[in-house]
Amino acid sequence: MTARLRFDPVALLIVPAVAYLAFAYGIPLFVLLARAFVVDGVPSVSSFVRFFSDPFDWLVIGNTLRIAVAVTLVSLAIGYPTAVALARAKGAAQAAILVAIILPLSVGVVVKAFAWQIVLRRDGVVSQTLVALHLWDTPQRLLFTETGLVIGAVNVFVPFMILPIYSVLKLVDPRLDEAAATLGATPLYRFFRVALPLSLPGIVTGIAFVFSMAVSMYVVPNLLIGDRFQTLATLTGRSFLFMRNEQLGSTTAVVLLALAVATVVGSAALPRRFGGAS
Amino acid sequence: MTTLLTGRPTRRNLLKASAAAAGLLAAPSIVRAQTKELVVGGAAGHKPWVEQIVVPMFEKKYGCKVIFEGTRSLVNLEKMQKNKGAQYMSVVQMDDPVMILAVKEGLLEPITPAKVPNMAEITPAAVHMDGMWANYLQPWLGIAYNKTAMPTPPKSWAELFDPKYKGRIVVPSLQNTEGLPLIFAAGLLAGQSLEAAQKDVDAGFKKLATLKPNLLTIYTQQPQAYNLLEQAEATMIGPAMSSYALERKAAGAPIDLVAPSEGVFAMPSGIAVIKGAPQSDLAFAYVNELLGAELQTKLAGPTYSLATNKAVPRPAGLAPDLKIYQIDWANVAAERNNWISRWDREMAL
Repeated sequence: MTARLRFDPVALLIVPAVAYLAFAYGIPLFVLLARAFVVDGVPSVSSFVRFFSDPFDWLVIGNTLRIAVAVTLVSLAIGYPTAVALARAKGAAQAAILVAIILPLSVGVVVKAFAWQIVLRRDGVVSQTLVALHLWDTPQRLLFTETGLVIGAVNVFVPFMILPIYSVLKLVDPRLDEAAATLGATPLYRFFRVALPLSLPGIVTGIAFVFSMAVSMYVVPNLLIGDRFQTLATLTGRSFLFMRNEQLGSTTAVVLLALAVATVVGSAALPRRFGGAS
Repeated sequence: MTTLLTGRPTRRNLLKASAAAAGLLAAPSIVRAQTKELVVGGAAGHKPWVEQIVVPMFEKKYGCKVIFEGTRSLVNLEKMQKNKGAQYMSVVQMDDPVMILAVKEGLLEPITPAKVPNMAEITPAAVHMDGMWANYLQPWLGIAYNKTAMPTPPKSWAELFDPKYKGRIVVPSLQNTEGLPLIFAAGLLAGQSLEAAQKDVDAGFKKLATLKPNLLTIYTQQPQAYNLLEQAEATMIGPAMSSYALERKAAGAPIDLVAPSEGVFAMPSGIAVIKGAPQSDLAFAYVNELLGAELQTKLAGPTYSLATNKAVPRPAGLAPDLKIYQIDWANVAAERNNWISRWDREMAL
């Protein structure tokens, strides 16, 4: 009776999840891959060759990545300080911040997108504020621009950046920072050598969450920028729904999937490169 | 108008329906076969006026029962495909692009003047593919504008291109059926005839490229576009559907719809008899009634559409000499995907 061969019945607990994923995710994924890699009944990469040889498709890939990267970076820039504030806050203040982050998640994406349509208009509150602050000479429109899309998308996705970072920061012993201070480390040094490396696992999870959602978002670009700005997700949707071109739709979906997976895997390598210590 | 369009079942209708159902269950099968029942498939949005105006009139005249199944055109097509050889629906009311698919699948029975005398009374352009289907009504495409942002109504399709409306124009995506005629309108502005503009879209697309600075957005969701127009973020939507724009106007929105001087485009509302339809005679009679002047006179108002029966006058506001362009939908169906990809490339931000 070796330890290696002993079967732990606890492992059975994973069966429902595996069965569900195989049914709801595995089978459709297999069908999708089969459609993309089989042309006229023969295995072929010709649909990918056609896709990548069209300059327009590179524009679409560029749009998709640019927006996803921008959304992720802005979410990180806003989300990290928020997560720190949330982790340091006590009692009622902490509860208030937490509610402010979590409650908006219960509002549907479509509702938020429609709200941004009002806020980002030429006579909307953002434009008026910027004019009042003399940052803009005349009222301008943010709606149906890339900037507007990033603003709207960050609003939808930023909780998914804050929450993982917060859950990691919460576990970090605050005395580590104090210890570094007693040893004479400057605040900047303490942040980059102590606080940041310790919070990296949360940052990585947040980036993976936000990026994979932003790269494949469909409703938000549809409502905030319209039909003139194609991303891989909107191109996939219209290929299936309107052009009835399943070959193109599965090809773009596979490209999108590859981009999302590459980013998640790549971001997991981040802590090793970045902190080295963790 | 509102009571007309809400389509709530009245007590009498309910009683009638339950009496009919009870009769159907109680009767022996031989009698049941004689209970004439006609199933019509159509758009969910049509249900109110079909059930308020068409059904009562038809049931009374022909002593039968009409069941209207309201759904989407593509769902109707699916139903017809699945029940091929054993159809339970007799008549379909669908958009022309979907009719073309149904013809290709061999699902429709041609309409002939012998069975549908009113075929001779409608405009020839409303009969398609040698009588495979006909248009009973046609919503029309003009320019919708915000009355506060634009005190003088637009007169021509060319006004969409006027540089003073920079960033203020909304157009439909080519994914939406009402978007496609924009290419033809641009072709007309470039000096083409409608026939030429449909055959060779090059001039149309070149003209459209000059619309880019004026575009606020290209919509796929109609309500979103009208929201922008009603709140004056957009000044004009073109092409805009009469059936939608005028309904919004009637609901009190500060917008109106005009027919540009070059002419308007007729949108499709088709009706056809399904091949192998139960109650075939009744099915043709139903089509005949919808193509007749009596029903079309009653329907043109509530549906904000043009009648196709020549005896029915144009709705108020449309000049008698205004050109109404009929689109070759078979050509559109064949070219649509090419046009969409060209549009994507040339109109992208």
